[in-house]
Amino acid sequence: MARLNAIPGVPVLIACLAILLIWDLLSRVVMVSGLPPPWGALQEVPVILTDKESLVNILASLRRMSIGFSLAVAFAVPVGLLMGRSRLVAAFFNPLFMIIYPVPKAALMPIIMLWLGVGEMSKILVIFLGVSLPVIYHSYQGSKAVEEKMLWSAAAMGLGPMARLLRVVFPAALPEIMVGCRTGVVLALITMVTSEMIARQTGIGNIFFNALDMAQYDTVYAMIIVIGILGFLCDWGFEAVRRMLLGWAAPVHDIAVGSA
Amino acid sequence: MSALHAVWRRNISETLAGALPIVLALGIWYVISAWNFAPASLLPSPVTVFRRFLVLLGDPQFLQNAGATLYRLFVGFGIAVMLGIGIGILAAGNRTVAALMQPVIRVLAPVPKIALYPALVLMFGFDHSSKIALVVADALFPILLATYQGAVAVDPKLVWSARAAGASQTRCLFTIVLTAALPSILTGARIGLIIACIVVFLAEMILSTDGLGQLLVRAARNFQTVDMFVPIIAISMLGLLLNAAFNMLSKRLLVGFPSQN
Repeated sequence: MARLNAIPGVPVLIACLAILLIWDLLSRVVMVSGLPPPWGALQEVPVILTDKESLVNILASLRRMSIGFSLAVAFAVPVGLLMGRSRLVAAFFNPLFMIIYPVPKAALMPIIMLWLGVGEMSKILVIFLGVSLPVIYHSYQGSKAVEEKMLWSAAAMGLGPMARLLRVVFPAALPEIMVGCRTGVVLALITMVTSEMIARQTGIGNIFFNALDMAQYDTVYAMIIVIGILGFLCDWGFEAVRRMLLGWAAPVHDIAVGSA
Repeated sequence: MSALHAVWRRNISETLAGALPIVLALGIWYVISAWNFAPASLLPSPVTVFRRFLVLLGDPQFLQNAGATLYRLFVGFGIAVMLGIGIGILAAGNRTVAALMQPVIRVLAPVPKIALYPALVLMFGFDHSSKIALVVADALFPILLATYQGAVAVDPKLVWSARAAGASQTRCLFTIVLTAALPSILTGARIGLIIACIVVFLAEMILSTDGLGQLLVRAARNFQTVDMFVPIIAISMLGLLLNAAFNMLSKRLLVGFPSQN
């Protein structure tokens, strides 16, 4: 067992099998109503992934998600870094972010749709809002923890404030920024799914409610599996990128948790 | 004395700097609606929104919906706290449990739990229980992980001393490890509380017959913009209040622990 666990990927596979088995038991033995055995849903997964229309829907959702995520990172990292290096900037933004923090971002969807219409813009904006805060927070923490001596040395060697931020603070804070990005990418997926479930027009949310309305319960569960796999892949992919970029930093055993 | 004065002055200027963006945002909102840059049907004036909020606070129907939301929030959060602390402590105390739990959590934690909601509605129906189940699924992981990480980091010497003094293994787990991990557990619970607050609202927006989230959706369908703002402000204020209350409770509970920021 211990040797099996050491092979990468095996614990995850075992965990997936265990989850499916528990699901099967719940549906067969405990007879939870409305819960079909997992095998029908599993068979439905390739059907969804080969169906052209749902594939287009899913890809459109993923595209919105990556645009929103990239915009949020591009905005949040500089803001976070500045907050970490300047007391005034931190004092300026902190109360505002504290107030925004408990606002359910995906719940802004109806209002934003009122302003920007039902198109791509409003969906991307909601994802942007959902991702920004954790990335700002982690960049802020990372930049605050940069060792002063490194900054002094850089200043002594003639680096200006902008160059110091770019060449000293940014790389030193990168491990913490990556933690923020990893939380952020999971949050981007969560916000994307939530906002589409609220708006119900296109993308993943559309597939969900079409299936629910037509009582195709296997498709509903298959969509859950697809979204679950997406979430796991986002998290795992980011961890792989982090390990590649930041082999020098101590690994952060931080399992991404988040919510819109 | 003058050093104290300088600190004081800095605190004042920092508070002012912090108030600035909030005042600015409210000011821009007011100016846009007062000078008719945007029609009131798209962006009602902040004064109208807050007045409507105060009116609704006295409206029994609004309070009933808010009560349904609060009930789901607290029941779900309570179950998540019990499950999270229980499983977390168990995993910290037993290596087999930890080895079994870790990959499962690794797979389940990054899954968007909101996607489970349609299935939860199929299983538990439209009533309270489907929303409570979703709150549990979402709030569980931060609490569970914080408990586990906090419990694993407890100084083993504390446990050894208790064992040497004759405490049983289970007794150690609950009196020593649980107490020593309290700061970490409370941090996890605070995150879980805010998540619960957000998730219950979103679930009510997606499929529900009552609750604050449903009020927002209903207002959106009827194009009543003012009533769309009120539930969002209500749930955000609730989140802020719960956060503040939880921080106060933590401070009370953590008297004597080394302070952490």
